Formats: sequence, C-alpha cells, structure tokens
Amino acid sequence: MSTLIEKHIVSLLAEKDDKAISLLYDNYGDTLFGVAYKVVRDEDLAQDVLQESFIKIWKKADSYDASKAKLFTWLFRITRNTAIDKLRSVNNKSDKEVQIDVSDVYNLGVNGIMPDFIDVQDNLEKIEPKYQIVLEALFFQGMTQQEASEELDIPLGTVKSRLKIGLRELGKIYGTTMTILLLIILLP
Amino acid sequence: MKEKVKIFLDSDILEKHLLGDTSKEENLKAERYITMYPEVRETYNELQDNLEAFAKIYARKTPEGLKEIILHSARKEQVASKKFFRYAIAASVAIMIFAGSSYFFWNQNKSLQEENTLVTNQMKYLEENMKNQLEDVRNQFIVLNNPDTKRYNVRGKMEAKELKAVAYINPVKKLSYINVSNVPNLPENKCFQMWAEVNGELVNLGVIKQFDDKNKLLALPYAKNAIGYITIEPEGGNTSPTVQNIVANITY
Repeated sequence: MSTLIEKHIVSLLAEKDDKAISLLYDNYGDTLFGVAYKVVRDEDLAQDVLQESFIKIWKKADSYDASKAKLFTWLFRITRNTAIDKLRSVNNKSDKEVQIDVSDVYNLGVNGIMPDFIDVQDNLEKIEPKYQIVLEALFFQGMTQQEASEELDIPLGTVKSRLKIGLRELGKIYGTTMTILLLIILLP
Repeated sequence: MKEKVKIFLDSDILEKHLLGDTSKEENLKAERYITMYPEVRETYNELQDNLEAFAKIYARKTPEGLKEIILHSARKEQVASKKFFRYAIAASVAIMIFAGSSYFFWNQNKSLQEENTLVTNQMKYLEENMKNQLEDVRNQFIVLNNPDTKRYNVRGKMEAKELKAVAYINPVKKLSYINVSNVPNLPENKCFQMWAEVNGELVNLGVIKQFDDKNKLLALPYAKNAIGYITIEPEGGNTSPTVQNIVANITY
C-alpha cells in the first residue's frame, strides 16, 4: 500500500467523500475481511462484521488522527473490536459460554489465506508456530496477555516475549520480501 | 536509552495500544511516550507495519456484491446524518423563533400589565382628587351662601400691615374658610405660613404663595373658639410657628 493512496484516502475521509469507502474497500477490504473471519470464524458473520466496521469507519471518519496511528492500525482496531463484540453477542444470544477453543489456534486456517500481496503462505510457515499461536490469540481472539497465558498454559513473561519476537520475526520476513520485491522492480 | 523508556518498552502497553486494548490511562501514557521518545515512536511504527503484514497474511477474498452493499449502507448513513443535521438545524431555528417570540410576548404582557396598574392607580387618584375638590367647592358654596356664616376681615400687623384676608366661619355647618387677598412682599428667604390652633394643638395649614392663592378659599379646620395664625417663617415653611413673628390672628 503506497503512502500516496493512504494519504488520498485519509483526505477523502476527512472531507466525508464516499469515494473513500470504495478505495478503503479495494485496498483493505480483503485484509479486514480476513481479520473479521479469523475472529468470528464464520463467513456470514464475518460479512456482517465487515459491513458494520465500514459503517463505523465511515461514521468515525473525522475522528481519525494520522499523527496517532497509521490508517491500517485504525482500521484494524475498529474491525477487530467489532468482530470481538459480534462474537460475544452471538455467543450470548445462543446462550453459550464464551469459550475460545484453544485447539483452534493451532489450526492456521490455510483455506483462508490469500497470497496476493507477498507470498504469505511461505511467510506464515517461516514464523515459528509458538510465536504464531501467541500472535493469533492476542490479535484475533481478543485475549489479554494474561488470558493468553492461562489459555495457552504459557507463563506471562513468555507470552510477552513471544509477542515481541513474533512481531519482530514477521517484520524481518516482511522487510526482506519487500526488499527483494523492490530489487526485482528496480533492477533493469 | 533512558531507564523509564526501557521499562515502558519492556511492558506490554505499546502492544496493547497497537490493538486498541489499552485503558484510558495506558492510552494517554502510550501516546505521551510515542510523542516524547523517538525510540518509542520507532518501535510503535515498526509494530504497526508488522501488524499490517501479519494481518495481510490472513487476507480473505471478500464475497461478490459485499462492496455494493457496504457502499449503499454508507451512503444511506450519510443521507440519514445529513437529514438529521437538516432537521436539527430546522428544529433549532424553530426553537429559537419560539423562544424569541415567547420572550417578546412575555415582555409585552409584563409592560402592559405594569401600564395597566399605573393607569388604574392614576384613575383612582384622579377620582379621589375630584371628589375632594368637589366636596371643597360644595363646602365653599355652603359657607358663602349660608346666612349663618360670619365674615371676618383680617389685617396684618408689624411688617405685614398690607396683608389682607377674609375669613368665613359657619358655626352651624362647622365650616371655616379664609381668603388671603393681599400679601405684602417679603424678603426672598421668608414666607407667610398659616396655622390653626385646634383643641390646643397647632396645625400647619401651609405656606401662602404670593400669586397663586389670590381669590382662593382655604379650608380651615373647624373648632369652637379656634384661633388661626399667620406667621412669617423662613422660606419653605416651618414645623412649628415662630410666636414672635405672628402677623395676624383670627379668632373664630
């Protein structure tokens, strides 16, 4: 995602121009849908979540502050929280215990992977599962680090360090891929 | 690196802030550290990039037609909010007009009520005044026409020799009047004042004004064997008569 498009979207959002929604959908729709799906683990629910999230994004458009968070971070927060709320309300409605199936975090949801930007499948494999489990628990299951520590039966300190290292590892992989991509593009 | 920055980075506040899981206090703290310390800012930016990369791994093709649904509801939302905004403006204007006119009418009502009270009071006063005057004129008429009325010529003495007055006393109707027809000139700081002794008490009958009082009958309080006095007093009148300045007395 180029910063130029990001800036363009941000300015459209500030002006309440509905082209912003279209551009946001084209550029972030798949990723946010993935996030929603990862949390609610249901195609229809994920669609509802994405729709609600976009309405929230649209309503809150003028509250976005580029100096506080990157556009994606802001979008991610809204989508993730909407998805977690949705999951809770669905679980409450069906009168079920809010029980996160821990075994599910080991299932990496390969069918949901969309390797259209970088070869993510490879990257996913490059992150060691122990980091990935922690990242998924915290990012998609709305667990606090304490909850993740209890659910995954890992000491809190380990959760913290795995989160940090996991993110760093990811950054490295992402960075390398970007460098390779750039080199391919730039080299004649 | 400062110790507290290290402690901050070692804590999980920044990671929680990244996901929007921070409490209000933690959020403020995170924002403060990000603004103040470049190393925190750098770490935060790195985390944001990593989050985006991580999330992209799970990207999932959105179903056909969802974009249109979302765009449609966003537009509806916008129209609704615009409509709401318009209604809100209209309602505010209506409320302001209503408040303005209410205040105007209330104010008008208040001033009309005040005016009404004023007019009523004025009318009452005029009526009272008219009654008194009529009564006075009636009494004057009775005194002047009644055969029982006695007429006394009063002449001044001392420096008021030119003072001339006529007193009319009617013991039957118990009415007494005086007409001061000529008042000598007095120094500017002096004036004539009339008194009547009724039942041993001196009653102030007022100051005689030089021109206005000619041909005007002044009522005197009636009492058997009463005495009327005219004295020279400092300008504006006195509260009790100055005995040595008595220039005329009328016994009736």
